[in-house]
Amino acid sequence: MPEILGARELVVALGGGRRGLLGRRTAAVRAVDGVSLSIAEGETFGIVGESGCGKTTLARTLLGLQREATGEILLDGRRASGRAPPAARRDRAAVQYVHQDPGAALDPWWRVGATMDEGLRIHGVRDAGQRAARIAEMLEAVGLDAAMAVRYPHELSGGQQRRIGLARILLLRPRVVILDEPTAGLDLSVQAAVLRLLRDLRGRFGLTYVFISHDLSVVRRVCDRIAVMYLGRIVEEGSAEQVFAAPRHPYTRALLAAAPHLDGRASTAPPLTGDPPSLRAVPPGCRFHPRCALARAECAVTPPPTDTVAAGHAVACHRWRETVDAPEKVPA
Amino acid sequence: MIAPVLSVQRLSVRIGAARILDDVSLAVPAGGTLGVVGESGCGKSTLLRAILGILPRGAEVPGGAVLFGGRDILADGGASARGRIGFVPQDPYLSLNPVFRAGDQILEIMRRHAPGTRRDHRARLVELFRAVQLPEPEAALAKYPHQFSGGQRQRLLIAAALCCDPALLVADEPTTALDVTTQREILALLQGLAAARGLALLFVTHDFGVLASLCESVTVLYAGRVAESGPTRDVLDDPRHPYTRMLLACHPDRATALAGIPGTVPAATAQPDGCRFHPRCPLARGDCALDVPQPVLHRGRVIACPYHAEALPEVALA
Repeated sequence: MPEILGARELVVALGGGRRGLLGRRTAAVRAVDGVSLSIAEGETFGIVGESGCGKTTLARTLLGLQREATGEILLDGRRASGRAPPAARRDRAAVQYVHQDPGAALDPWWRVGATMDEGLRIHGVRDAGQRAARIAEMLEAVGLDAAMAVRYPHELSGGQQRRIGLARILLLRPRVVILDEPTAGLDLSVQAAVLRLLRDLRGRFGLTYVFISHDLSVVRRVCDRIAVMYLGRIVEEGSAEQVFAAPRHPYTRALLAAAPHLDGRASTAPPLTGDPPSLRAVPPGCRFHPRCALARAECAVTPPPTDTVAAGHAVACHRWRETVDAPEKVPA
Repeated sequence: MIAPVLSVQRLSVRIGAARILDDVSLAVPAGGTLGVVGESGCGKSTLLRAILGILPRGAEVPGGAVLFGGRDILADGGASARGRIGFVPQDPYLSLNPVFRAGDQILEIMRRHAPGTRRDHRARLVELFRAVQLPEPEAALAKYPHQFSGGQRQRLLIAAALCCDPALLVADEPTTALDVTTQREILALLQGLAAARGLALLFVTHDFGVLASLCESVTVLYAGRVAESGPTRDVLDDPRHPYTRMLLACHPDRATALAGIPGTVPAATAQPDGCRFHPRCPLARGDCALDVPQPVLHRGRVIACPYHAEALPEVALA
C-alpha cells in the first residue's frame, strides 16, 4: 500500500523564550528530535514508549496543532508542512485525533448530539437535515442507538463515551485517525469490545490508524507495524511480529520484558537501571546509553545510525548485533 | 492451613437501596498474597473500605464480619486494626498534599499511631526510605511531593504504609498510573518487602498480568459477589465460572478473538435476582434467574456456579 502519512527528519522544539510570572528564561527542549516514519494506507501503526518520550508531541505535530522546527510532513505524497498551526491544521483535515479521555473531550453542558453537530457545522455541512442524518448513521456505525444523541456526557458509560468520541471524529470523514491511548482506563470486557469496533470501522471506512499506547499486549494484538520511541527518537521500528518476536534495541527488550503477562512468567532480562530520562538533560551519543547494559565507550559519544535488521525492521543501536547472539527469553 | 491474618466472612454492605457487597468471603493467610479482581462497579473499593474500617457514612452492614487478628474491625470502627494494616493508594500524584513536605506527612501518621519520640520516628523513616530504595533517603525528608517522580512517589506511599509496622499491606491498583518499567520495579519492591518482613498482601487490581506475577491466590468479584476464587495459576489456566472464562477471553494475550461480554455490569441499585451474571451468561437457564448460586468446591477452588463444568458455546468465546 502507498504511504498516506509520512514524516522526514521531523524536529519539534517546545518552550524557550520568557515564560511565567517573572519572565524567567527557559531553554527549549526538543521533544521530537529527528523522527522519520512512513505510514501506509490502511494499516494500524503503533507508537509505543513511556511517559515523556514524545509520543503525544509527535501526534500533535502530525495533526498540525504544533509547528515543526525542521523536517517535513507528507500527506498523500504531498508536502503538508511548513505552515503555522491554524493553517497547518486546515491542510491536514484528513488527519483527525481521538482524545485519550473522550469524556473530558465532551462538553458536560451539551447533549452529545449537539457536540457532534458542531463539528459538522465547522466543517461546512450547512443542511441541518443532512447533519442529523449523518449523526444518526454514525451513531449506528459505532454501535449506539440514535437516541443517544440527546444524552449528556455524564449519562454515558466509559465505553459509550469512547464510542461517541470515535463517532464525532468519523463524522468528519477522516482518512487517518490518531488514537491516543484508546483503551486506557477501560475494563477488560469493554476494552475488547472497543478494539473489535476499531477493527470493524477501519474496514468499513477505509481508515488508517496511528495507535499510541503503552499497553504492549494491546499493541501487539492490533498493530501491523510499530515504532518504539525513547526521548524524542525512534529507536526501533518494524512489523509487530518482528518487534515482539525479535526485538533488537536494548530498550525495546527491557520494555517488553517489564510488561506483565497472563502466564506470569518471570523475565530473565535485567530491569532497567538509572533514572527515567529527561528532555532537559539529553545524554550525548546514544540517548539510552546511561541505562543500557550493553553500552560501551562509543555509545556515549556517537549517536547510533539506523541500521536495517531485516526488510522493514530498523534499529538505532551500535550493538544490536550482539542482541542477536544472546537471545533471551522475551515474551513469545 | 496457616491461620489467616485477615478474614472477611460473609460480608454484605448496603448504601441506601444499593446492594454493594453481598455475602463476600475471603481470607489472606499470614505472609500470603491475595489478589482481588473485578471490573468497575463490582464492589472492590467498598470491600477495601470495609477492610480499612472507613466505610462511607450511611453504609449499612446487614451481615458478616471482617476479622483481623481475631477481632472484628467492623465492630470497633477499625480501632483495633489502626496502624496494623498499611494502605497503598492508587494514584501517587493525588495522594500526597503538595504544600507539605512528604516526610512531614508520614511523620504525622507516626506521631498519631506509632510509639516513640519524634527523633525515633525520623530515624525510622530514613530507614524506611532506604528499604523502599528512595535515592538519598536523608535528603528526601526535606523534599516536597513535586520533587519526586511518579515511581518515587509510589515508593514514598509504600514507606507511609509501612511506617507503623503493619502485618498486612492493602494496595489499590498501586501501579495503574505508572509506566511498565516503573511498574515492574514497584511490584518487585512490594514482593521483596513482603518476603523480608513477613507481610501479607491484599492486592486489588483489574490487570490480570499484574495478578499473575504477584498473587498466589485470587478472588474474582462480579456485581458485589464472589464469582470464583482459588490459586491464581489454576484460575488463570482453567477458569470455571462463565464470567471468569469470558473475561479472560477478552485479554489481548489470549488466542481467542476479542469478544467482549454482552450487556453491562448491573447497577448496584438494580441487581438481578438469582445469579447476578445470568442476564449476560450463555449458560443461564430458568433456575439461574431464581436461585442465588451456592458456592461449589472444586479442586481447591470455590465457584459460584452450579454449571461450571459445562462447556461455553463457541460463540461466547469467538
